[in-house]
Amino acid sequence: MSGSYDRALTVFSPDGHLFQVEYAMEAVRKGTCAVGVRGKDVVVLGVERKTALKLQEPRTVRKINMLDEHVYMAFAGLTADARVLINKARIECQSHRLTVEDPVSIEYITRYIAGVQQKYTQSGGRRPFGVSSLLVGFDIDRTPKLYQTDPSGIYYAWKANAIGRNAKIVREFLEKNHQDDMNKDESVKLTVKALLEVVQTGAKNIEVVVMTADQGAKYLAQEDIAGIVGDIEKEKEIEAEKKKKKPLTRSS
Amino acid sequence: MSRRYDSRTTIFSPEGRLYQVEYAMEAISHAGTVIGIQSNEGIVLAAERKVTSKLLEQDSSTEKLYTIHNNMVAGVAGITSDANYLVEYARTQAQQYYFSYGEEIPAEPMVQRLCDLKQSYTQYGGLRPFGVSFLYAGYDEHHGFQLYHSDPSGNYAGWKANCIGANHSKAQSILKQEYKEEGLSLHEATALVVKIMTKLMDTATLTSDKLEFATLTRGGEGIVHHIYTPEEINQLLKEQGVLAETDPDQMED
Amino acid sequence: MECLLGLVGKDFAITVTDTSVIRSITVLKHNENKSRELNPHTLLAFCGEPGDTINFAEFIQKNIKLYGIRNNVELSPHAAANFTRRELAQALRSRSSYQTNMLVAGYDAQKGPSLFWIDYLAALVEVPFAAHGYCAYYCLSIMDRYYRKDMDLEEAKDVIRKCIDELQHRFIINLPRFVIQVVDKDGIREIQL
Repeated sequence: MSGSYDRALTVFSPDGHLFQVEYAMEAVRKGTCAVGVRGKDVVVLGVERKTALKLQEPRTVRKINMLDEHVYMAFAGLTADARVLINKARIECQSHRLTVEDPVSIEYITRYIAGVQQKYTQSGGRRPFGVSSLLVGFDIDRTPKLYQTDPSGIYYAWKANAIGRNAKIVREFLEKNHQDDMNKDESVKLTVKALLEVVQTGAKNIEVVVMTADQGAKYLAQEDIAGIVGDIEKEKEIEAEKKKKKPLTRSS
Repeated sequence: MSRRYDSRTTIFSPEGRLYQVEYAMEAISHAGTVIGIQSNEGIVLAAERKVTSKLLEQDSSTEKLYTIHNNMVAGVAGITSDANYLVEYARTQAQQYYFSYGEEIPAEPMVQRLCDLKQSYTQYGGLRPFGVSFLYAGYDEHHGFQLYHSDPSGNYAGWKANCIGANHSKAQSILKQEYKEEGLSLHEATALVVKIMTKLMDTATLTSDKLEFATLTRGGEGIVHHIYTPEEINQLLKEQGVLAETDPDQMED
Repeated sequence: MECLLGLVGKDFAITVTDTSVIRSITVLKHNENKSRELNPHTLLAFCGEPGDTINFAEFIQKNIKLYGIRNNVELSPHAAANFTRRELAQALRSRSSYQTNMLVAGYDAQKGPSLFWIDYLAALVEVPFAAHGYCAYYCLSIMDRYYRKDMDLEEAKDVIRKCIDELQHRFIINLPRFVIQVVDKDGIREIQL
């Protein structure tokens, strides 16, 4: 080991905190919001996109990425860190197929990503990844899955969750409105509705991927999202007439 | 308060920011400007030279524009020595790809390889990030001509037109105004680049010792990358009507 | 003792692989798949030492799949063949070399169909038609005689029928079943003669 840089950057503080990890989570909280929702036989990922600048090529800005044909991942946090993490995960997906002939299970690849993230909190003079991820996909038994990782290397399975900017507000919304056994349309609608809690600019800043066991993953077209947003807004108007409430708290 | 977090290796500040990366970007906003515009017939890159001296060899020292491989030219803004290292790295990667696949590396994978290196310098090893932003003019058969921008964090994105270095926001707003929805011809793009350069440098006239210029276009046999010689730049400036009166030949005497 | 053929037609490339696994004087099975899909428009057919071939082919397959996922664009058949050659050449000079002969058949939206011949010593050639193994002794001359550029699928099938006929008449080994695959603009599919 001599000669190599092995001073850990992330060390315990006297009161037991790993500050670098906590600060990395702060970077995640600054990132754009991502939402995952699991339905009966469907999983949906929705992300907030920053407004594409006029001269930018939208093709090159990707917030939802394919890891393997049956696993998709959205992230919140540092884009460059996420790209590196995604790359590692993609390699693992194919390597897993090569060694055991089966595609990775969603939990396996989540655990792998979380494992990489954990390593970066403990060893070798490096900072943690400033990234949280939401993974969706189908296992070989055709059950939908939704997982989350965070910079500390912890991972969770969820029915629905959000990461990134204002994640807390969105999660509270999901806690109130999520139901088991939602069908495809209901799941998509809940995802978009949850995102609209924090995305002010509506459909053009939302990207959605829907996954089913039979059809795999599909990016929703911009018009479809706009349609759903339109429906939701109509419903809201009707509801607003009934009673007035709008939980639009803004933090930061 | 932030002294603890900005002097060492790149680590997170309590607000979740990477100060070293942000400072590196700051360094770039003082560097010579590079503008890239994608036209319908190819890409135009122009760069402002900061080091000017009549003793400088004009022909052999480009400071801002480099050929990465047959289908890519890049403009750099930032710390030139860092840029030299990265350009060298990119060239090696391009040839390694060629060695593996027998084909020229496509534009985005090339940018991504470089950006992965940049990212790694923001994450480990007690190193500082690279203080360099790039504009890449590239071509591949998948997406045709492409213009990419990357920054010290290792982020990148594709653009129709963009600018890095000093006064970049001013240049970007001009680009936003002048770039037409249906695209520009190569000629229009060239004129626009020269126009913005004169505006940014706040002069009516220019000479080849202050400017570098390159194009990536379709030629008879594939793609032609062309970094202009000083004579060609002067010729171009003359055509655009902004060549300085002083004859550069006299300056060298 | 195996049979591996390929040829390029007007707007397609075609491969023929036998399905027998033979060890010493024993036939172990009659339904072996001796090809792998590298990406939607590139097929790798192989023969040689049974363990080596599958190991190497799947290694190449997963790497090319990874390339597609990573870069959002697929590798061209030409690039895939070069990559395969390079990996084989590198392995050849290590402790773990592979005894694998291969054909890469592909279709490129811009450049049309193509066929690449790679032997176990990692020589790579782009060819209009090709054969590996003992069957080359019978089939190359037939293809040489009947091959034309711009053949349509029926004409190509005709040539292949002639090749298989000859093998079944003259070749000492009985090869009862063949898999014929076509790569064209629509992708890869198996056909019957």
